[in-house]
Amino acid sequence: MKKVVLLMALLILATAFLNAATKMKMELWNRWTYEMYDGDVTKNELSLQRGYFRLEPTFGSNISGRFNVDFFSSDKDSDTDGAGLKIKYAYLDFKNLLPLKEATLTVGLMKTYFGTIYEYEYVVIEKDPSDLYKFAASADYGFGISGYFPKGFGNYAIAVYNGEGYKYTGSKINIALNPLVNIRITPVPGVTVGGSYFMKNKNNDQVDGEDNPSREDYTQFAGVMKLAYGPASILGQFLQKTTDKPHDDAYEEKTEQVISVLPVFKINEKFEIVGRYDMYDKNTDVDDEEDGSYDIMIGGCNYNIMRDEKNVPTLFVQVNFERIDYKAEDSKPVDQLMVQLRWIFSGVIN
Amino acid sequence: MRRIIALIAVLTMVAVPVFAGKDNKITISGSTTVLPIAQACAEIFMDMNPEVNISVRGGGSSVGIAAIIAGTADIGDASRHINTKELNQARENGVNPYENIVANDGIAVVIHKNNPVHALTLAQLKDIYTGNIQNWKDLGGPNLPIVVISRDVSSGTFEVFNTIVLQNEKVLDGSLMLASNNAVATTTAETPGAIGYIGLGYLNDNLNTVQIEGIMPSKQTIQSMEYPISRTLHMYTNGAPKGLVKEFIDFILSVEGQEIVEEQGFISVD
Repeated sequence: MKKVVLLMALLILATAFLNAATKMKMELWNRWTYEMYDGDVTKNELSLQRGYFRLEPTFGSNISGRFNVDFFSSDKDSDTDGAGLKIKYAYLDFKNLLPLKEATLTVGLMKTYFGTIYEYEYVVIEKDPSDLYKFAASADYGFGISGYFPKGFGNYAIAVYNGEGYKYTGSKINIALNPLVNIRITPVPGVTVGGSYFMKNKNNDQVDGEDNPSREDYTQFAGVMKLAYGPASILGQFLQKTTDKPHDDAYEEKTEQVISVLPVFKINEKFEIVGRYDMYDKNTDVDDEEDGSYDIMIGGCNYNIMRDEKNVPTLFVQVNFERIDYKAEDSKPVDQLMVQLRWIFSGVIN
Repeated sequence: MRRIIALIAVLTMVAVPVFAGKDNKITISGSTTVLPIAQACAEIFMDMNPEVNISVRGGGSSVGIAAIIAGTADIGDASRHINTKELNQARENGVNPYENIVANDGIAVVIHKNNPVHALTLAQLKDIYTGNIQNWKDLGGPNLPIVVISRDVSSGTFEVFNTIVLQNEKVLDGSLMLASNNAVATTTAETPGAIGYIGLGYLNDNLNTVQIEGIMPSKQTIQSMEYPISRTLHMYTNGAPKGLVKEFIDFILSVEGQEIVEEQGFISVD
């Protein structure tokens, strides 16, 4: 799979400069983070949190691609210091290939259609709940079919992934592929309900013909509801992940749950108020004061300085205050003030 | 939970002034094909109703539909139908796109004035735009390379041409992809060997119009949809039009409004 994706990435890059309609887009996030814990300043940092470079070539009307590289100045999952680079997306979309109307076959390093992670636009600075609580990576190596129901009644996706996410390749990938189903229904304008089901696992089931005690099986579910009316919308999400180690008799099955609510209110074209409240239960069988569970509260605003012709913000400032409130007895909250300048420029090559 | 309820209450309080009524203003954006109809009708409507202010912008059909979805325009002009992805996005955002057909149009295929070719089939047209035919001599014309001029892929005119003529095949690499009907008309008129396609309202004496499948684009052949590259032109609203927007659309659909449509070179809906 890794070689296929690499080949695809090179193909997309090469053809990007030959094709008549290759879209190019760059997005950068300059962030100031000020963090306090128990009266002490624990972080006061300026960073280039993310830089996305994207190429979207079209190979006729039925085939298009996306190649996305992420730049970052720091990442807690790696020891990168100063600058880092990750391939985030490298996939091809094939339309009208299947007898299903409006269906697209996608192959490569593609979006993970779990919960809201595949459509999350960082209305608040914090990550999507599935990403933040490690339910799913935003991209993974795989293939799948996605499409729309007629008359705007919703969309669906069925996919198979490595399951380990886009940051892992080679020996870190086990031999089992992981299926996912996602469905979203909009019965009336402004009311959307749906859910995702994802079966994942980590480490191979057997090593040298023996059961592997470090094998982990995950059963994940996401329930999503969005209500929108005029300038107001509210997105609610319930996530559940059950972890089991089938070959470790001492391990007790663990269930994590997240409830996340994200209200947005647009005051006018320039200004919107945003909020978010997450309740993360790390283990439903263990008292919250003992298992490291916490709530996150976010309040803030977005100020759109410029938009493109399709009304997508291209230059905007995000201000968020975030409090992480740990449930453990005698624990103190972590407070963060983040100010982020996001700027986007794009064009068509050729 | 109490904190969530408190947050919703605060947002609701902030919402009240925003839901208050709008002034006598209509904002319109979208298709460059529909633009002349919107502009001409807006001017007359504002003359008849001096207290009303109508702002009209182009940008393309995708822009018009995006504006309706984002709630930044009262009317989104489009020379194509809304697609499933857009419809899905709109409904998720609480928007119910309502299609108001305001005119009929044919996409006329035009060539340089000195080019004697006068008729093409849809298959020949597809072959030209996909690069299978590259010289006018293969079509009974002069020994002259064909210069293929198309609209950019985000335009509604391209989408209609793409569906009816190209049948989703890729336009020849190296074709000129231009951003407006005017640009196609001007470039075709100035380039021997050129072929382009434009809305009927943009035809002029500096261009030769080609018959398609033996049929010339005209009021009769487009109203009857006999002309193969015919289409309807739309003004999308969020739900059935109401209030001032309804008055404006009713005006466009009135006898006077449809006369303006015809004056702009398009075909009336009745």
